[in-house]
Amino acid sequence: MSVAKVFGPVDIAVSGMRAHAKHMEVISSNVANARTTDAGQGQPYRRLEALFQAEGKKIGGVTVHDVVPDNSALPQMYDPGNPKADATGYVTMPNVHLPVEMMNLNIASRAYQANAAILRRYQRMVEASLELLR
Amino acid sequence: MIEFDPNISSLPLTTKVGAPQVFKPPVGNPEFSQVAKAVGNYVTKVDDLQQASDASVQDLLTGKTNDITAVISAAAKADMSFKLLVGVRNKIIEAYKQTMNMPL
Repeated sequence: MSVAKVFGPVDIAVSGMRAHAKHMEVISSNVANARTTDAGQGQPYRRLEALFQAEGKKIGGVTVHDVVPDNSALPQMYDPGNPKADATGYVTMPNVHLPVEMMNLNIASRAYQANAAILRRYQRMVEASLELLR
Repeated sequence: MIEFDPNISSLPLTTKVGAPQVFKPPVGNPEFSQVAKAVGNYVTKVDDLQQASDASVQDLLTGKTNDITAVISAAAKADMSFKLLVGVRNKIIEAYKQTMNMPL
């Protein structure tokens, strides 16, 4: 039994924590830019989505392999006083929906907690095995 | 870590239940010096892990990285390997004491 093998669950749990922390970063970007009408090239902010990918084909961790924009339609808001409004008085707003983001935030934080719980439980498991040495 | 095969049918069928077991020493019986050498190698491994853990904490505190999960991983590995080393050390010392206290 290689000692490095013992750390498998540690690496997997930590990769999950890292991936979900990244997901949380993406969500915070979405929430912060929920009303950003100009994200660079004069276009409103587009909601970003983190894509998860397994590390390897067998048992292994997870990574956020890409962060892609959500290409759903941008909502129009009637606001004639806005300097960004077009000729008909509509402003194109970002396609961020705060309730959706809050749900995703809950999922991400619960997933992070779950990975941390696995790490802690695994450490306790190894300690229990070492108790048998005494 | 714990490799447990719940599949009873995969057990070798040659051992009959209740039959007296003949003790066969494993092939290439390890000498104690080899065990001591293995422990010595493991100590260097544990030291490497401890140093990696220290380095990652330092990197986090000096702002070289902001990846807290790397610190968690390194600290968990260092902690677990050190606990295993302490367990093995205690066992060896206990065995030494028992040997020394043997009435001759």
